[in-house]
Amino acid sequence: MDLTILLFLVQDGITNGAIYALLGFALVLVFAVTRIIFIPQGEFVAYGALTYAMLQGGHVPGTAYLLPIFAFVALLFDLYAERSRITGAFLLRQGIEKIVVPLALLFAAREMAGVSTVSSLILTVAIVAALGPHLYRIAFQPLADRSVLVLLIAAVGTHLALTGLGLVFFGAEGQKADALTDFSIDLGPLPVSGQNIAVYVATVLLIAGLYWFFERTVQGKALRATAVNRLGARLVGIRTKGTGKIALALAAGIGAVSGVLLAPMTTIYYDTGFVIGLKGFVAAIIAGLASYPLTAAAAIAVGLIESFSSFFASDYKEVIVFTLLIPVLLVRSFASKHTDEED
Amino acid sequence: MSTPLLSVSNLSVSYGKVEAVRNVSLEVFSGEIVTVIGANGAGKSTLLNAAMGILPAVGEQTFDGAAMGRLEVEDRVAAGLSLVSERRELFSSMSVEDNLRLGAVRFSEREAQARMAGVFDRFPRLKERRRQEAGTMSGGERQMLAMGRALMAGPKVLMLDEPSLGLAPRIVADIFTIIEDLRKDGVAILLVEQNARAALNAADRAYVMELGEITMSGKAADLANDPQIERSYLGFH
Repeated sequence: MDLTILLFLVQDGITNGAIYALLGFALVLVFAVTRIIFIPQGEFVAYGALTYAMLQGGHVPGTAYLLPIFAFVALLFDLYAERSRITGAFLLRQGIEKIVVPLALLFAAREMAGVSTVSSLILTVAIVAALGPHLYRIAFQPLADRSVLVLLIAAVGTHLALTGLGLVFFGAEGQKADALTDFSIDLGPLPVSGQNIAVYVATVLLIAGLYWFFERTVQGKALRATAVNRLGARLVGIRTKGTGKIALALAAGIGAVSGVLLAPMTTIYYDTGFVIGLKGFVAAIIAGLASYPLTAAAAIAVGLIESFSSFFASDYKEVIVFTLLIPVLLVRSFASKHTDEED
Repeated sequence: MSTPLLSVSNLSVSYGKVEAVRNVSLEVFSGEIVTVIGANGAGKSTLLNAAMGILPAVGEQTFDGAAMGRLEVEDRVAAGLSLVSERRELFSSMSVEDNLRLGAVRFSEREAQARMAGVFDRFPRLKERRRQEAGTMSGGERQMLAMGRALMAGPKVLMLDEPSLGLAPRIVADIFTIIEDLRKDGVAILLVEQNARAALNAADRAYVMELGEITMSGKAADLANDPQIERSYLGFH
């Protein structure tokens, strides 16, 4: 192996690692706020990639139709749950959130498909991020007070349902998008593409954005507070149901961005997301589902190990990455005190 | 007679088959300090948690004349009812300032800063520690922070669950001084205490709770001199 190959592998590993880091963040975020081990994170990546590829190709993506359907089901849930205390203000807010916004996005997708890279990008993130809160309302809010295990089972069910819906709305064909830019720069023997740079920039910006959100804004602090002490959060008047929706909107938005970044690099199928999401999951688990910086470091490590194992033992690359979990879990299980969850 | 700010009547709370609170009726009027005294396990905390909407309860509950039985915890806070729980329930890994800011989560930054200045006037100690993590503070400071955080929401009625629990006598005296100051500033107080003597000294009216039921009620001064109360609750102090 010469230096050029080494550099290529490192670059590849860091690029993939950056995307796994984004997914790992989403998992840590969702778990901290809602206690859900969010298996369907990878579906948001696939939805994001496919939505972006279709918009770029001038087609209306399936997610643009899926969103109003999800929103309508969530609306029925809310109308039923609040049936004894429905007010005009409640109906107005629900109408805007669950009818006007989804239909406006559908309209925008129909009008603006294929117009420009930037409009496709913005629409993709808006549509996929908007799916998050409705998904929370339908699948998780009714179980919000249940144990981590129950929430995990719901998450697995949601993953299967979203994969199936992906097949219905996107079809079985894989899609690949055009690169965000043709720009390329040579660093010594190593050409660095604009796509790679976009991945690094997006990751750094998202990390900075998440830091700003959680450290500087009241909504972000409210999310952290909910994660630290759910009862305390309710006692100060934080709507913990709302925080679950915000967490899933963020997770879906992060997934969509990851999908947009991945779409030009590899062909994405309706079910590709799962394995990608699992690698983010490995990183998040190595970091104990708790620390953002550790998750980033672990994700880069996962990316590097994956790229080197695909060079030396490409048949085993998935096996090697997922086998990483075993020693980590062993060490964690010996190092930490066992506490049974109260419920 | 004016309408009470907080009123519960025939309130019952059950944990499974065990009725922890049975047919309790209680009122708090504007400008009052009302205390509920009773032994450990009498159902005092359960009563407060039910009034806050944390525990499901049967019975009638009103706040400022409006029914509140169906309101969520968050709506009760918005209406003007706050609870400082026995366990304080602080955001331990966040700073004092962030804890206070979240107490006024519904309000703008400007309004929250103004309220925070008011809380710092009342608890100068918190101002000194504003950047410290809540979890690293002493018990007395944590109690002050929990009260300060509840005050950030601008409650009309503040419910305090065992505010003196586990605190040194000098700090307990400080806390009771602050409770009386709050009443002067127009916050009605519902105080649950095992420290019956201090509670009866501070309160206008008192209820005595035993095994989930209210067994006596009346002016705090009268109850403090009642021989039975003296024997049951004041003997050790």
